[in-house]
Amino acid sequence: MTLQVGDALPPFVIDSVSAAAMKEWAVFLADPNPIHLDAAVVKAKGLGDRVINQGPANVAYLMNMLMLAFPLGTIASMESRFVDNVYAEDRLTAGGSVTALEDGVVSCDIWLRADTRDAVITGTARVKLQA
Amino acid sequence: MSGVSDLPPAPDVAGTSLDGTEPYVITAEQNAALCRSTGVQPATDGTAHPIYYYVATQVAMGKTVAGVCATCAFDVEDGPMMGSSGVTFAAPLRIGVPYRVTGEIIGLVRKRSRKLGVMDVLDYRLRLHDESGAAVLETTNVWVLPRKELA
Repeated sequence: MTLQVGDALPPFVIDSVSAAAMKEWAVFLADPNPIHLDAAVVKAKGLGDRVINQGPANVAYLMNMLMLAFPLGTIASMESRFVDNVYAEDRLTAGGSVTALEDGVVSCDIWLRADTRDAVITGTARVKLQA
Repeated sequence: MSGVSDLPPAPDVAGTSLDGTEPYVITAEQNAALCRSTGVQPATDGTAHPIYYYVATQVAMGKTVAGVCATCAFDVEDGPMMGSSGVTFAAPLRIGVPYRVTGEIIGLVRKRSRKLGVMDVLDYRLRLHDESGAAVLETTNVWVLPRKELA
């Protein structure tokens, strides 16, 4: 595959964000914030009616997209800006496009979009390609 | 939006140490569970999912999430929100390696937002070190702490 500036990266799709996975992430992160575990708490806080996915899990979807797009590469750096919540049962698409190629490093704009609400994360990444 | 000169200042927490005290080891079992929870299979070359940059530094830094919030005079029950997260890797993360965390709070800035009203923006930096002491990554995170009581 010959990369060019402007190329779209193959999307990584999460068909339905799992509330059960949020319980696992509460353990991974040692953070039992109830907005990730109890929809009643989310409602009481006026944040919606479904549990909210942990931000780092959303970043992991973007990393999966990058790792699948560049299976022989390694992520050198990444910046993620959180612009909206992701809720249980959301359908998400992680994607991006190439913005620069230099010295074996590909720079990309990246994004995570929810089908019903557009961007939930925007950002940039640099991936070091195999020498 | 007006300024914040009419508000009490945010606590001066810049420089607060977030150095960890205990090493963090990524286990093969947890890495596999984490990978599968995000829709991929774990790598077979001994590397861990790169999102451990966030997981390992949060779990092994010297304060809990609630503790960081308390340092900022903010009740974790009021709902801290992630604003942004950045990372630069010097090396891939590996299963079974005892990593240590160093880091510090960079700043806490009080602002007014159209969406959230008064909020404090917390900026902190963490590094993950391997057994040799070399930093394998540096991450800078921004949390938004809504100050409903000042709105």
